[in-house]
Amino acid sequence: MDYRLSSVQAGELFEKLSGAYDIYGPALFAGTGCFADTDVIRYKKLRSFDEIVWDRKSDYSFKEVLLPVNETLFYYTEDETKVPKGPQKEILIFLRSCDLHAVKRLDEIYLNNGFEDFYYARIRRRTKFALMGCRETCGSGFCVSMGTNRTEEYDLYMEPEDGGFGIGCCLEELEAYVKAAGGEKASVSPAFAAENKEKVTLPRKLSNESFTKEIWKEYGSRCIGCGRCNFVCPTCTCFTMQDIFYRDNEKAGERRRVWASCQVDGFTDIAGGITFRKDQGDRFRFKVMHKIYDYEKRFGYPMCVGCGRCDDVCPEYISYSNCVNRLAKEEELA
Amino acid sequence: MGMDINTKKLKKNAFRVSKVRGIGASRIRVPGGYLDARILGMVQEIAQTYGNGYVHLTTRQGFEIEGIRFEDMEAINKKLQPIIEMLEINQTEPGTGYPASGTRNISACIGSNVCPFANYNTAKLAKRIEKEVFPNDLHFKIACTGCSNDCAKARMHDFGIIGMTMPQYDPARCVSCQACIKGCRSLSVDALRMENYKILRDTEKCIGCGVCVTKCPTRALTRSPKKYYKLAIMGRTGKKNPRLGKDFLVWADEDNIVRIILNTYKFVREYISPDAPAGKEHIGYIIDRVGFEEYKKWALDGVELMPETIVNQCVYWDGIHFDNKGK
Amino acid sequence: MKNEYIPQLSEIREVIRHTDLEYTFRMAFDGDVKPGQFFEISLPKYGEAPISVSGIGEGTVDFTIRRVGKVTNEIFENYAGDSLFMRGPYGNGFDLEDYRGKELVVIAGGTGLSPVKGVVDHFARHPEECEGCTLIAGFKTPKDVLFKEEFAFWKDRIQVIRTVDSAPEGYDGPVGMVTKYIPGLRFRNLENAAFICVGPPVMIKFTVMEILKLGAEEKQIWISNERKMCCGLGKCGHCKMGSTYICLDGPVFNYVEGKELID
Repeated sequence: MDYRLSSVQAGELFEKLSGAYDIYGPALFAGTGCFADTDVIRYKKLRSFDEIVWDRKSDYSFKEVLLPVNETLFYYTEDETKVPKGPQKEILIFLRSCDLHAVKRLDEIYLNNGFEDFYYARIRRRTKFALMGCRETCGSGFCVSMGTNRTEEYDLYMEPEDGGFGIGCCLEELEAYVKAAGGEKASVSPAFAAENKEKVTLPRKLSNESFTKEIWKEYGSRCIGCGRCNFVCPTCTCFTMQDIFYRDNEKAGERRRVWASCQVDGFTDIAGGITFRKDQGDRFRFKVMHKIYDYEKRFGYPMCVGCGRCDDVCPEYISYSNCVNRLAKEEELA
Repeated sequence: MGMDINTKKLKKNAFRVSKVRGIGASRIRVPGGYLDARILGMVQEIAQTYGNGYVHLTTRQGFEIEGIRFEDMEAINKKLQPIIEMLEINQTEPGTGYPASGTRNISACIGSNVCPFANYNTAKLAKRIEKEVFPNDLHFKIACTGCSNDCAKARMHDFGIIGMTMPQYDPARCVSCQACIKGCRSLSVDALRMENYKILRDTEKCIGCGVCVTKCPTRALTRSPKKYYKLAIMGRTGKKNPRLGKDFLVWADEDNIVRIILNTYKFVREYISPDAPAGKEHIGYIIDRVGFEEYKKWALDGVELMPETIVNQCVYWDGIHFDNKGK
Repeated sequence: MKNEYIPQLSEIREVIRHTDLEYTFRMAFDGDVKPGQFFEISLPKYGEAPISVSGIGEGTVDFTIRRVGKVTNEIFENYAGDSLFMRGPYGNGFDLEDYRGKELVVIAGGTGLSPVKGVVDHFARHPEECEGCTLIAGFKTPKDVLFKEEFAFWKDRIQVIRTVDSAPEGYDGPVGMVTKYIPGLRFRNLENAAFICVGPPVMIKFTVMEILKLGAEEKQIWISNERKMCCGLGKCGHCKMGSTYICLDGPVFNYVEGKELID
């Protein structure tokens, strides 16, 4: 059912929900951008719905809620390990359609590919998703091309409307909260972007031959290997293990996993001084091929959800979406 | 009838006496070098109506309209009025041009309006200082520069205001990619290192340039909400002893810097040499004569610094000495 | 739900010193394990490293560790502490079925011998299960030779060529790269031959070239890929090559598949 809530009622809904849920959404972090007096929109545990930034895409995706940038796997002493407590409450994450499609990609790796991941699974099982609509397309996204502009996989839909909120409920458990907050019945339908400014055509004839294309050399000469594209990507899932020791007692410490980037030095280094992808062009090729070819080969659908964040964040103005289009164009002309 | 002109008054009114008899130049100050492009059209009009059609872009980011005749000064001042108003220059009487020229235009690098490295809006601070100090006949040179790169050559000014930021580190967002460490090493002072996969900043070494912040791919390193400045003082060019300004305050705030500059005007009025040619004596020479301790007393009068501000209690300058040869 | 990331403390039963740089640690372990599989071995504080199983005994597994990285260095310094953390086994390992009844040639470089040692050992003990087994093992110098005891045991049971890249004057064993000894191999029926190559990437590349020159087919060759692995569980992404996760799908590949893997 759909409902309308006044802003006061929405405040009450938040209060009540907070009893059972930790609520996460994209919020403004003023002045924390790369450059002076620039802002960043990224995810945080919300204190009210008012903190949500509705009218712009977040610079960093929701993934840090499910996969913290730094996550302690266990604490250790000389002969024992102890796993930190998992989340105590349920989790509710506000996100857009493209990101909700990214959840499926995260699940694929963390729940299905080989072993089930204990840490991801224990937070993922508690997580519900609240869809944020896209009345208009964002600037760089190409969700329509990737087929990720629409979704029905959400548990709640919410959008700001005339000082209040329109809410669509798919999950009874959440609907009960909305009703209790005094929501009056209404008709609300999720806003999905029907068209993007950016249109991307996936090349369909990629193969191992594509690994030697000239195009990778060009991007390799431009890429500085900073990893921003990976860190903002809602579907990048790589991490590196780190053991840290406590300064006052070096025999105790913790093992963490920390986000990793296939573009940054060290990603393929093994003991003995061997690096498997030294060249930045190889790393760039690895990333792009993973997003539009390798992943699909293994799991049956492309990895990229077309959110466009990597294009927005690249300090060298490398456009991944343009690269993909160039690959498709090459095929067309071949 | 001979030309009878008070050159002292003319110079104070921001005109210049040129090599050619009867011909001078009109100087337009542009605080921070930041202006509405429509002013360019006004400058063009004056240059084409009263000058020889050429304009010099001054080293202090003003305009100097060449080839004007002294008899046109009054008319030119009228034409300057909208420029003066648009740039919000303090004036004593509308329509009479600039009321002083001793305190020079406050120059600035392009700053955070455009530059990715700048730690603050240099043009805005230049305008604020201009508002506080102008008009004044005393010879003060002040420049605002966005970061320690010092593109504005602030260290060659009596007051060089260099933008700083206090890096804020959130270890929970750090992925140990070391972009900050590499950036600091190659572009700045190598003040960062990694221990336990997290970044340690040598606060003694750190110059607050902000390179680490621009390099961080995850927003683990961000700028401080508070803006910080380094105040380098008494740099100068000149014939006797050109030298670079030295740090007086580090991690200082804007208000106190403005107060110190205003205090310095009082100090100069007290101690300027009565024999100073045209009432012009570089402040640095006055401090050389009176002593830094005395200057500091005047400069810091009524100044309440933030706890994090470092005051260099003793400042020594070096530079090149052309003034003591053969002594 | 099992937490695969939690390592178990395992007792060090024995330490065998091969060279200054390479020791074998015999660890307590009960469970199924195959040659070519690996464990994540760790000393908390220094981290984990994927290490191949170099021997399988009753209630033990061996790890032959070369002192080349942070973790392995520390294991050398600290083994006196009598136990190590480990989790595993991971990966597919060698399937002995692929080599039964074949003329097997194993070519290994340095510590590359570790993962394949169990295969060699099996056919040395059960020579009737194959149509002949040859081991070409290369080491940098005579000082770097690993598994001396095993070589002594193998040499009477299978054909062994133990070569060194370089040796001091007067050394009377084979000298030269492993590839030098491939053209001299003789087969009763080349079509029934099977080859296993394990070692550094460059060594694998040139060894495979030599094998193909003999006239063998790609499908007769198996390789084992060593890559960075932080998890061993298909999660961390470091070992991925193309659509293949070395930790899950490998590290052992038939060359038909293995040659398609591009870093």
